[in-house]
Amino acid sequence: MNNIGNNSPGDSAKDPAGQGKTLWERWQANAEKNPDREAIVHWVAGEEPMRWTYKNLIETAKKYSVKAREAGIKKGDVCAIVMHHNLFFYPLYLGISRMGALPAVLAYPNPRLHPDKFRQGIEGMAQRSGLDYILTERELDPVIHPLIEKPGSTIKSVFFPLDWNIENDIDPKSDAEIELIALSVREDEPILLQHSSGTTGLQKPVILSHRAVLNHTHNLGKALKLSDSDKVVSWLPLYHDFGLIACFQIPLAYGITTIQINPFEWVLAPILLLEAITKEKGTLTCLPNFAYNVLAEKIHDDELSDISLESLRLVINGAEPVRHDSHIKFTEKFVKYRFNPLALTVLYGMAEVSLCLTLTDPGKPIKELILDRNELSHGVMKFADENSVKRVSVSCGKLIDGCDARIVDENRKDVEDGIVGEVAVKSVSMFDGYRNYPEKTAEVVENGWYFTGDWGFRYQNEFFIIGRKKDLIIVAGKNIYPEDIEDALNQVDGIIPGRVISFGEEDEQMGTEQIAVVAEIKDETEIGKNKIRMDILRAGMAIDVNIHKVYLVPPRWLIKSSAGKPSRNANKERILSREDKQVWSR
Amino acid sequence: MISQELKKVILTELNLDDFDLQDETMAPEVPGWDSLNHINIILAVEKSFNVKFKSYEVLRLKNVGDLQKLVDLKTGK
Repeated sequence: MNNIGNNSPGDSAKDPAGQGKTLWERWQANAEKNPDREAIVHWVAGEEPMRWTYKNLIETAKKYSVKAREAGIKKGDVCAIVMHHNLFFYPLYLGISRMGALPAVLAYPNPRLHPDKFRQGIEGMAQRSGLDYILTERELDPVIHPLIEKPGSTIKSVFFPLDWNIENDIDPKSDAEIELIALSVREDEPILLQHSSGTTGLQKPVILSHRAVLNHTHNLGKALKLSDSDKVVSWLPLYHDFGLIACFQIPLAYGITTIQINPFEWVLAPILLLEAITKEKGTLTCLPNFAYNVLAEKIHDDELSDISLESLRLVINGAEPVRHDSHIKFTEKFVKYRFNPLALTVLYGMAEVSLCLTLTDPGKPIKELILDRNELSHGVMKFADENSVKRVSVSCGKLIDGCDARIVDENRKDVEDGIVGEVAVKSVSMFDGYRNYPEKTAEVVENGWYFTGDWGFRYQNEFFIIGRKKDLIIVAGKNIYPEDIEDALNQVDGIIPGRVISFGEEDEQMGTEQIAVVAEIKDETEIGKNKIRMDILRAGMAIDVNIHKVYLVPPRWLIKSSAGKPSRNANKERILSREDKQVWSR
Repeated sequence: MISQELKKVILTELNLDDFDLQDETMAPEVPGWDSLNHINIILAVEKSFNVKFKSYEVLRLKNVGDLQKLVDLKTGK
C-alpha cells in the first residue's frame, strides 16, 4: 500500500518544467520553454486540423481574459461553458482560469433534450454550484435567458464569447492587472469545477484546486511514464473527467500535445480516432469500455487500409466497468494494424480524486482472474473450478503515487484481501468536498477517506472493481442516476405513481450497460402496453436518456425495500431471472 | 420519400411498430435512435441493401431523407 504521508503535496506537485504553483503559471512556463510546440490540435472531420502552439494558446487566452474581465467576470466566479467543439474553446477556458474564475464545462444540449429539462438541469446546478455566468453560443440564448430573469437566480448574465473581438492587441494595463491577479492565486485555491454525474438536480459539483491537478499531473504522469514525445488523442467530451483531466488538463500541464476530436463526430464516424492516431502519431488514448467494441466491430476493414496504430503505447480503459471480451475484440481486430496488445491499460478513479487512483503497469499484461461467479456474488474471491460459473475479473491495477485505498465492510472496517467490500480512498489530489453540499460531503467523506460506493476487492496489491453499492447506471461512460429516470417516468399516464424502477442491464454486444425500466401498470391489453412503452421511451427522450428495454408488470409486482420503496436490486434480479410469465417486455 | 424497405429496417432495429419517418425526420426525434443505436442502424441498412457506406458519408447525413438518398445512390436507383 502506498503511504501518502511520504508523498507530500508540495513535493509531488513538482513539475517536469520545474515551474508553476498554479495551472496558469505552469501553462506559461510550458509556453516559454517550448513556444512552438503544439499544445492542442483541433480535429474536425474532413478538414485540415487547426493547431494551437503553446505560445499562441497563451497569447489568445490572455485576450479572452481581458474580454472576460470587461464583461464583469471576477476571481472566484463560476463560469459554465456550454459550447460545441470549437477552436476557441481552449483559449477561452485558459483565459477564464487565468483570472482565478472557475470554468465548468457543461454538455451542449442534445436536440432531443427538452428545453425545459435543460433549463431545469442548469437551474439545479446553479442552486448547487452557485453558477455566476454562462458562456455559450448565441443559438442557446432563448433557452438560457429566462433563467437570468427568474427571481432568486444566481446567474448574472449570459455571454457569447465567440462574438468577442480578439483580433486587436490587448490593453497592456488591463493585461498587467489581470496578470497580477493570476499571480496572486494560491495553489490551494480552486482551478475548476466538474460535475460527477446526474442529469438534473442530482449533480454533485466537485471543486479541484490547482494543487490537486498539479499533483495529479505529476503522479499520473509518472505512472503513465509520460515523456516530451507523448501525444494524447481524444474524442472524449470535456464535461467528463476522463476527457477533461486525462486528455486536456494533464497534457497541457505536462507541456505535451493533445489532439481533440469532436465527440459528436466520433460517435458517427469512430474511424476518426484511428485516423488522428495514424496521422499525428498519437501515443496515448483513453476510451470507455464500449468504445473498444465500437472500434472493433463497427468499422469496415476496407476503410482501415491506411491505419497504423504502431505509435500507440497506451490505450487506457476507464470510466465504466472493464470487460475482458472488449479487450480481446479490440486486440484481434487491430493487431494487424500494428497495434501492440501490451498497450492495453486500465485506470480506475473518479472525479472526486481528480481522476485516477489505480493503474495497470504500462507496457505489461493486465492481470485477469477467472473466478467463481456465485462466490463473488456472496462477497468472496474464489478461483473458478470445473463446477463454477465463471467470471473474468480484469484488474484495475495498483495504486499510483499519492493515493491510498482500503476495502471496507458496511461498518467501514477493513476487510481482508480477497473479500469484497466498498472501496475507500485517499489522495493528494482529492477534492475539497462538494460545493455548497456539506451534507453530501459528510455522507461520503470520513476522516479524510472518500467512500466511493464502488464494490471491489484487493488481490496481490491490485484492485478489482466488480460493481457498485450505489445504483448508478453507466451507459457508454456516462453516469446516470436511476432517480432521474424514475422521476421522469412517474409522469407517464398508465404507470402507477411511484411504482417504477430503472437499472442498468448488461449489453454484451456493445460492451456497456443499457437502461431498463420496470413499471407497474393496470392495463392488460397489448395495445395499451405498447402505448405505455412508447410514452416511456418519449419521457426518457425528454431528459436525453435512451431507454433500451421496458418491462411492464401488474400491480403489486415490484418487491419493496425495508423503506417501503420498490427495491432496484431485488427487482432487477427478479426481472433478469426471466422466470415470471406476468412480465411483458420489449 | 422514405421507402417502405428502409423504414422497415430502421423500425425493426429500433424495435418500433410504427413511426412516421419523413425525409426531414432527424434521429433525435425517433424513440431509441441515439448515437449508440445509430451505428447499429447504419450497419443494418448496409446489410439489408447489400451496400457499404464510408464513414464520411455517414457523417454527412442530416436526416432520414439523406440516408434514403445515400441508399438510392449506392443501389443505383
